[in-house]
Amino acid sequence: MKFIGLVLKSARRSKRRTALTVLSVAMAVFLFSALRAVLQGFDAVSAASSAQRLVTIRSTSMIFPMPTSHGEIIRGTAGVQDVTYANWFGGIYKDPKNFFGQFAVEPESYLRMYPEILLTPEEKKAFLDDRTGCIVGDGLAKKYGWTSGDKIVLQPGIPTYGSQDYPFTIRGIYRTSSSAVDNQSMMFHWKYADERSIVKGQVGWYVTRVADPDRAAQVATTIDQKFANSPYETKTDTEQQFSAQFASMLGNLNLLLGSVALAVVLTTLFVAGNTMAMSVRERTTEIAVMRTLGFPSSTIFMLVVGEGVLVAIVGGVIGGLLARALISAEMLGLAGGFIPAFGVTNANVVVGLGLSLVIGLLAAVIPATMASRLKIVDALRRVA
Amino acid sequence: MALIELRDVTKSYRRDANEISVLDGVSITVDEGDFLGLMGPSGSGKSTLLNLLAGIDRPTRGAVRIGGTEVSALSERALAAWRARHIGFIFQLYNLIPVLTAFENVELPLLLTNLSKKQRRDHVMTALGIVGLSDRETHYPRQLSGGQEQRVAIARAIVADPTLLLADEPTGDLDAKSAGEVLTLLQRLNREYRKTIVMVTHDPHAAERATHLLHLEKGTLVEQTRVASAGSA
Repeated sequence: MKFIGLVLKSARRSKRRTALTVLSVAMAVFLFSALRAVLQGFDAVSAASSAQRLVTIRSTSMIFPMPTSHGEIIRGTAGVQDVTYANWFGGIYKDPKNFFGQFAVEPESYLRMYPEILLTPEEKKAFLDDRTGCIVGDGLAKKYGWTSGDKIVLQPGIPTYGSQDYPFTIRGIYRTSSSAVDNQSMMFHWKYADERSIVKGQVGWYVTRVADPDRAAQVATTIDQKFANSPYETKTDTEQQFSAQFASMLGNLNLLLGSVALAVVLTTLFVAGNTMAMSVRERTTEIAVMRTLGFPSSTIFMLVVGEGVLVAIVGGVIGGLLARALISAEMLGLAGGFIPAFGVTNANVVVGLGLSLVIGLLAAVIPATMASRLKIVDALRRVA
Repeated sequence: MALIELRDVTKSYRRDANEISVLDGVSITVDEGDFLGLMGPSGSGKSTLLNLLAGIDRPTRGAVRIGGTEVSALSERALAAWRARHIGFIFQLYNLIPVLTAFENVELPLLLTNLSKKQRRDHVMTALGIVGLSDRETHYPRQLSGGQEQRVAIARAIVADPTLLLADEPTGDLDAKSAGEVLTLLQRLNREYRKTIVMVTHDPHAAERATHLLHLEKGTLVEQTRVASAGSA
């Protein structure tokens, strides 16, 4: 403990240099925590996905629709318990940058399929009874200050849905019981969108519940076989696989984000290491004097490492707390739809702190070794 | 009683293929309580001899014995511990740590002991009192004059009550007045506190304060004299 004062004073020797090093570590931890949060968000959706739900899309691409007639064929497939369907709406609420997930759904079957969507019985009835009604997630409602009964208008963003505005009445604010469904989206009646669409009877994807999750893969194959060699061939996967594929549409996320995180950490390591080395070089005399006074090499080593760790940990705390406060899907305006809700958890902050500790240790170890092995006589002679 | 014994000490360095001798077969004894001045032209080996006494360098041949301990045979770790306990070093350029106050600079050697915070404080204030700078404990080196800095350095050298004080040209960077104050202080430490002091100096005024003088030339001892009466300011 008695050496901590010495470490603190040494760190304050060049306030500007220390501040810049702290900031660089803070930035590294901030970015690392943010990237980790995004990856964990996708993993969480995948992990929370139901083993009993399958998702069917056009085999060519999800952006191409399927006819409603597919629904009855899927329903008639052995092993299928229930079917629902949905379309991506992609409308504009006042300004194109007000992005959130908007789904045109078959309301009754959709709410059966997703018991994770929690509504009061009154809200559910009100939604089902109103063709222009919609339900919004509590996160979305909070963002725009919406309450039940509010009227909102969306401009269609996709030409298929025509050119007229779509007025809605909010009939319920749903909560979610699982990250498989996000709370930043809006759902409304598929029929409302279909009757105004230029091309009618089109479905974006079907969701199927299988009776036996162990037979999910088999049922998926059977469904696709029914549409093989037709103009609307399908690709059916479990919900988990579908989530993972969606993430992979953005590229190999793990590799991409992992590489970025590694590059940031390595760069910071070199910056911090160079700073420590400069600091030790400037203090050659002082180190020689302390060795002359009787400070053993091991103590000199610990003092230099201590300084590096202290500076890095301060940066880690700042970066971690900033990431916790600023990084979330809502904050970044990315929430809703297929991008999961993500945020920096306390566990992420702890990992960020651990990372800063590692950066501090690695950056300081070589300068500390050099300082502890300094030849006293040569160092003193340099000064004289 | 002999505190310091050097027996046939030689120190040489290798430069490319050549061996350069800095000290050549020097044998001296210094009694406890002596104030020894080491004099000689530049390159005579004075500072090298001081470094050997401090244990921050090792002889190529021969033995350095201080207080009964053969210093030249100690390991690096043992040498550091020995230095902390037995040596107080005063540098020509003071070498105070600029980010530490006068108090903290003087306290540095005590951080290597088991003294409590209060005990360390008492020791530091005593040392600062001896050098006449108790009222400057919170000042940083940049806020002190050259003479004051050197007095703080002397306080640092004596705070752990070492066996031996080594001073390498302690007045080399000071004006005449400050130099006189420092030399008076060293003389007082020798006479009143019975500190054994070895001082390297070019300054004949400084040499007058010593009780004994050693003259080195080209690494060998050429003259050893006892000062008839050590002068004062």
